[in-house]
Amino acid sequence: MIRLVMVLLFVCCMTLATVLDPSFQRLHNRENASASVLVALMGDSRRLFAHEFFAKADAYFHSGFYPTIFDTQPPGSESDLKEESHAKPAGAAPHEEEHSFLGAPKDCFDRFGRHFYPTVHTHLHGGNEREMLPWLKLSADLDPHEIDTYLTASYWLRTSLNKPAEAEQFLRQGLRANPDSFALLLELGRIYLDNRKNPRVARNIFLQARQKWRQQDAAGDKPDPHAYEEILGEMVRADRAQGDVKAQIADLEDLINVARGKEVLQRQLDDLKAKLGEPKP
Amino acid sequence: MSSSKSWVTSHNPDANNIFAIAGVVIKELYRRKDFYVLFALVVLITVMLGSLNFFNDDSIVRYLKDACLLLIWLFSLVIAITTTARQIPAERESRTIYPLLAKPVGRGEFVVGKFLGCWLACGIALLAFYFFFGLLSASREHTFPLLVYFQAIWLHWMCLGIVVALALLGSVVFAAPSSNATICFIVVLGILFAGGHLNGVALQIPGFRGQLVYAIYFAIPHLEWYDVREWIIHNWGLVDWLAWTGASIYAVLYTGMLLGCTWLVFRRRKLTL
Repeated sequence: MIRLVMVLLFVCCMTLATVLDPSFQRLHNRENASASVLVALMGDSRRLFAHEFFAKADAYFHSGFYPTIFDTQPPGSESDLKEESHAKPAGAAPHEEEHSFLGAPKDCFDRFGRHFYPTVHTHLHGGNEREMLPWLKLSADLDPHEIDTYLTASYWLRTSLNKPAEAEQFLRQGLRANPDSFALLLELGRIYLDNRKNPRVARNIFLQARQKWRQQDAAGDKPDPHAYEEILGEMVRADRAQGDVKAQIADLEDLINVARGKEVLQRQLDDLKAKLGEPKP
Repeated sequence: MSSSKSWVTSHNPDANNIFAIAGVVIKELYRRKDFYVLFALVVLITVMLGSLNFFNDDSIVRYLKDACLLLIWLFSLVIAITTTARQIPAERESRTIYPLLAKPVGRGEFVVGKFLGCWLACGIALLAFYFFFGLLSASREHTFPLLVYFQAIWLHWMCLGIVVALALLGSVVFAAPSSNATICFIVVLGILFAGGHLNGVALQIPGFRGQLVYAIYFAIPHLEWYDVREWIIHNWGLVDWLAWTGASIYAVLYTGMLLGCTWLVFRRRKLTL
């Protein structure tokens, strides 16, 4: 009798396996299966970890010279890593300005203890920027909606590390998770313009970025106006690289409407119009 | 005369006794499976992390060094605390402490022997751990900064000396090895995490409470000085030799103080269960 029951149980197990196996296969083959598992396991706490990993990348960028949760930082100060990848043009040298969150030693123990951890503000350079990439990748895996992570990684990949293919792949991963991001498109366009030397494709991507920005602006999402200025600026660069003066004039006119340094741009516009033989306004 | 001679013999610490007790502790380390399991875990986890591909770049190494050193620190603390915490309670439980102390081995010799054994065992474990770390680092960076590793191992070992002495004191104060180990872990990790920042916290607390926190800051063993992981990971070179010597002297003094306290408590302790 017991043997019969055992055989019956075995048959039940086999039947169940044939029913369940295809479902599990589908689950494993799904593209975002790993993301789903992460969401199920960690919930919103993964964003916290993602933020920590980004901070870790920033700490690596400073070779370990980085504030802990006990150190006070001026309010509103952005990480150097973000600033570096957002504001500076490609190939710009890292700033060597000395500023320290440590302040003067508080006592003799504090002074002595500073011999055992980095106390000098430096930035990675000469290809060593690669060392922070694992943390940025992990951060993006944990929080695929944090745009800055993709932008930062892509900036270093396409500039110092000269890996535009990897940068593009990472940005496209970001675009799959954030299809409406004009910032990711702007960065992607830069890869085509600066690294692949393909201004035609770059301009198309910038056009798409401008369209996304305008859509968000029209919807009242208050997108970053500085980003719009950057998109138009890159479009002008792409036009110049293509030698398309008419498109350049049109884009410059758009840019002048929103830009802060209007005088320089106006002079450029006048020069271009003179080239085409158009009268000055 | 003979009674005076026997008094001298029984009160002067005998190095042979101390080394004999220490030898037994070291043998225990390699007979037990703890170290092998932890070493295998370090190797396994690090190799798994090393096999990850980040943007097709094989020369990325610092995250690997970071993870490996974190595991080494964590597991060395596990070895130091768990090995030390069970020494005296195990001797009492198996009643081997009675013939040992009747040999005669003084209680001071017993404490120093146990400390030395645990500390040397930790040193052997550290050598194995750091050898693997050095190989791993050299495989990607193609350098083997021997002096830097020597400084790091030494400081780490000095730190473990304080931890071992602390756990030994705990083993004569607390009833069970488990409670001793738990308390030691909390204290050591707490000091490593926040010990160096207590002065900053104290300055933000007004009045007597602030002064009390500052006093605690000066009183606790500053284990965070010995954690030079950031220094090694980011290739900052050698730690200042003078600071290195100062930290070593501080560790010796603190360890001596803790061992003295252990002996003071242990010499009057009734050993009956």
